[in-house]
Amino acid sequence: MPIDRKHLGRRYGPFVFEAGLERIRDFVAAVGGGVPGRVFAAPPSDPHPSTWDPAAARASRHGGLVAPPAFAAAFAIQPFAVACSDPELGLDVLRLVHGEQEFEWLGLIRPGDVLETTGEITRIADRGNLDFLEVTTTTRNQRDQVVVRGVWTAIIRN
Amino acid sequence: MKRLQDFTVGDTFVLVREVDPYRPIYYAAASGDFNPIHIDANVGRAAGYQGVILQGMCTFSWLADACGAYFGDPGRVRRVRARFTRPVQVGDVIRFEGRCTAVEGRAVRVEVAATNQRGEEVLKGATAEASVEET
Repeated sequence: MPIDRKHLGRRYGPFVFEAGLERIRDFVAAVGGGVPGRVFAAPPSDPHPSTWDPAAARASRHGGLVAPPAFAAAFAIQPFAVACSDPELGLDVLRLVHGEQEFEWLGLIRPGDVLETTGEITRIADRGNLDFLEVTTTTRNQRDQVVVRGVWTAIIRN
Repeated sequence: MKRLQDFTVGDTFVLVREVDPYRPIYYAAASGDFNPIHIDANVGRAAGYQGVILQGMCTFSWLADACGAYFGDPGRVRRVRARFTRPVQVGDVIRFEGRCTAVEGRAVRVEVAATNQRGEEVLKGATAEASVEET
């Protein structure tokens, strides 16, 4: 059943996330072929030094560790995740797949940053037996700077 | 670090990542995405797959890493986009092959093909853009 277009503009959040050093390192390890955590942990195979090696990061133009861009997936996903399971929308999550993703980064994320993400349904469409739900997210840091925008598209197979 | 004049249209880069049996669980722990379709093979099969499937955002992170490595610095990455066209499953080996398509002003653009070990595309329309600072 097509998603009711009355939900266009429906908003989610704000969701607050603190980008702790260990969270960033766990993300770099997990994505880089290593093992996150404190037990049986293993380093990533070829991380960018600015995201992993504190001494190299201090010596870099960033002056300290920064999160890899894709770390945005760890926090900016929240409005999208909540929308996909929003009872008002009534989507069948077993028929839902993440169809498309876009990020735009406007600032760096560093350990200790406090990130607040809001989201809004920006597109509802259907084509053949597919329904499309697009959520656009905006994340601001503790200085109220927009650091990342995301466009998240779910596809529901009917 | 690579300077703006070091980027040339036609440059290529490659990143290969293997989906070991624990990767969806490690990614779940690091990203907070514990959708059971990525954790429980029975749920994956109920949804029509052979078992668990990898989080799309893990594949997307590999795409961003591949581009970031070519751009030379994670702080240069401005945009990444892709469509997920095929599930990535345990045992898959994903190869990202990127090519520089434009150098305009301080912007460097690339497109990337991402294929599994059978040569099937797992992403379509994958592109990224960097902004290279003035030196």
